[in-house]
Amino acid sequence: MDWSPMLISLKTASLSIIITFFVGIFASRWVVGMKSDKLRIIIDGVLTMPLVLPPTVVGFFILLILGVKRPIGKFLLEFLSVKIVFSWTATVIAAVVVSFPLMYRSARGAFEQVDKTLIMAARTLGMSERSIFWRIMMPIALPGVASGGVLSFARGLGEFGATAMIAGNIANKTRTLPLAIYSEVAAGNMEGAYGYVAVVLIVSFVVLSLMNYFTLKGRKYTKYTNKDEVK
Amino acid sequence: MKKCISVVLIICLVFSLAGCSDKSASKQAIDATTNNNAAEITEEAAAPAAKEETILIAAAASLKNCVSDELIPMFETKYPNIKVDATYDSSGKLQTQIEEGADVDVFMSAAMKQMNALDEKELMVTDSIVKLLENKIVLIVPKDSDKNITSFEDILKADTIAVGDPESVPAGQYAKETFENLKIWDQVTIKSSLGTNVTEVLNWVAEGSADAGVVYATDAASNENIQVVAEAPEGSVSKVIYPVGIVKASEKQESAKLFIEFLHSEEAMSVFEKYGFIAVR
Amino acid sequence: MSLSVSIKKRFKGFNLDVNFETSGEYLGILGASGSGKSMTLKCIAGVETPDEGRIVLNGRVLFDSDKKINVRPQVRNVGYLFQNYALFPNMTAEENIGAGLKLPKKEKKIKINELIKSFQLEGLEYKYPSQLSGGQQQRVALARIFAYDPEILLLDEPFSALDSYLKEQLQTEVLEMLQLYKGEVLMVTHSRDEVYKFCKNIVITDKGSSVLLGDTKEIFKKPKLLSAARLAGCENISKCEVLSSHSVKAVDWDILLETKETLPQNINYVGICAHTFKIVDNDDNKEEQNIVVCKINKIVEGVFEYTILVENENSEQKNNNSTIWLKVRKEEWDNKKSKGNLYLRIPEDAILILK
Repeated sequence: MDWSPMLISLKTASLSIIITFFVGIFASRWVVGMKSDKLRIIIDGVLTMPLVLPPTVVGFFILLILGVKRPIGKFLLEFLSVKIVFSWTATVIAAVVVSFPLMYRSARGAFEQVDKTLIMAARTLGMSERSIFWRIMMPIALPGVASGGVLSFARGLGEFGATAMIAGNIANKTRTLPLAIYSEVAAGNMEGAYGYVAVVLIVSFVVLSLMNYFTLKGRKYTKYTNKDEVK
Repeated sequence: MKKCISVVLIICLVFSLAGCSDKSASKQAIDATTNNNAAEITEEAAAPAAKEETILIAAAASLKNCVSDELIPMFETKYPNIKVDATYDSSGKLQTQIEEGADVDVFMSAAMKQMNALDEKELMVTDSIVKLLENKIVLIVPKDSDKNITSFEDILKADTIAVGDPESVPAGQYAKETFENLKIWDQVTIKSSLGTNVTEVLNWVAEGSADAGVVYATDAASNENIQVVAEAPEGSVSKVIYPVGIVKASEKQESAKLFIEFLHSEEAMSVFEKYGFIAVR
Repeated sequence: MSLSVSIKKRFKGFNLDVNFETSGEYLGILGASGSGKSMTLKCIAGVETPDEGRIVLNGRVLFDSDKKINVRPQVRNVGYLFQNYALFPNMTAEENIGAGLKLPKKEKKIKINELIKSFQLEGLEYKYPSQLSGGQQQRVALARIFAYDPEILLLDEPFSALDSYLKEQLQTEVLEMLQLYKGEVLMVTHSRDEVYKFCKNIVITDKGSSVLLGDTKEIFKKPKLLSAARLAGCENISKCEVLSSHSVKAVDWDILLETKETLPQNINYVGICAHTFKIVDNDDNKEEQNIVVCKINKIVEGVFEYTILVENENSEQKNNNSTIWLKVRKEEWDNKKSKGNLYLRIPEDAILILK
């Protein structure tokens, strides 16, 4: 069996989760801190779009931006000699865009559940907004954020439609696991597909278990105080 | 309130899914009853195709434009009681679907390979298989390409090459054959993005993502964002033959036969030629 | 030491309109739940922003809507004790206490240890809030606030989260600790006991507006307003009709009250607290003023007293508000168990004149 799709998928998913993790956290922090409700609804809608659009449509939009016949893609090619489409980078971009909403929503949900009085208290104590975010909000929201990360890793790993559109199906370069599986099935080569499918199943199962683990661990911080103890 | 809405949404979802997949089943049921009624009423009228029928044809992606835009409407005008549904995809995928029992009546493949495979498995009405069309293999590049690729031998000047997956796409098979004969297939493979059907290959080149690609002459004609730079050299590739045949499990073989006969007619052939095919007469 | 607050803020349902000043004495903010008390504290702390107004603490302008001044909460130097203490669940007691401290490591450690000692938290430094009892959490929260020496202490219902048998003990302890604190103290509560115990002065809020400001004991004695009387715990309040400059009729109970003092014209209600009635013996004193003959409807036995629900026997009114509440110490009632009707005298100084 050719192991390259697995290695490519692993590299792609790993890089994409790192990017998605931080971009997702900062996006959700931005949205949670918004003062205007109207703006928050609009931005949230835009950021969640890739989740509800078919992946090929998402790929289409990315192509509109990065395709070499389109303004930005053309600019990158002519002036920076950079061609993103059909490169390994494109697999990462596809994975990031489709998995971003999952990370963003999980993080946002986790941050919004942090008790607001904690943040108010922190402010009166003199803690800077940044300090509040990293020392209080993140630790408390971490289980929810982590499970969001795990979910979006899995999504990035399984990404197909957008990847095919912007990264192509080039062996040893952009042929990710899902693309490899699809090719095998299209060719009627079921045996070849089994191996890849098994890998995907195992990874997905591990990932989902991790997510459940993090969610359970998170219960510790939602049960805030233990006022019933007599001392 | 929230619960109600979600229940309603789920029910709608289930119905729409059921609707999609069961279209042919319910259609068959409806057809069966209308057939019976029609048969009863028009017993005396010995008109052969008096019953209302819908046939499903599975055709290679490269046939989509001419078949769906012109040929099917022409056929339906000629035979108002026969409706034609069609599905287009790579011949390999269609072959798999027919093997898995898809309710197809007529199969139009882009290569003999898939047709023969089905025939060997005794899934086709062998006598009905005829060679219908011939197509040419061409090399295309994005419009305004500056890579100076002018022939199949030049293709290694491209950074990325789009071809159909030889395992499942006939156009890809032919491409492989051509390049093997030119002794450069191994190098081409390294730079190749394998499409799962010819339309995907075409789009990759049209968008400029791939610097060059191999498709059928008929595909090249349909897209204005690419230019044809060469035809496959004489003798470097076997003839691209498009066969057509009736699936053995079909319950509408009469109508299927009518459709195939129509495809052979002069009016149909002139449409094919207009789109770049070559008629096999 | 001074604080002056004059703010307005619009909400769904009610409008906040609070004005008061205080200098040095403990000020209590007493009001029903949802009357805007906590919101007032939050505006002073800076974690909420009023729509308009001015807040000045010790000569520093913290908020001024005209001059567009709105100092960040981080630098207002305000200590806020939240109702749920707001201890950070992911930090130990020690880390919580040090959360607001901006000192080099060594000095920070020293300061924290001092506070742990002052607040009797030895042995609990490394525990997480979920492992501490309510009282311990409160001490950690207070230690955290005292760590940076705020100019004003805002206590938001500080004792409502505690079990009743802890409350008394904690109240005394907290009172002791606060003796050492030199700044302003503002306490929000809906408990009249707490405000009476702790606060020299009091602001009464009703549906978002501050309606009365003054000495606590004075106000409890003479509430002057209907809302204040209710908050002070006066159980019997009746609509009234002023008949002359010295007599007023409690309409709901059909009782004529006569006073030596001149009555103001614009009063709408009279109130009589349940424990201010005097039980008198039978008919001798029938000619005295302000005596009402009552029919006993119900007797409820409390731990130390009886609550007796009565009605004016001679009342011609029959309405929902005709019940009069009477509270009597158990010994007194048991001794005076008279047969037949109950005669109650209402002392003049027990009559609350309310707007």
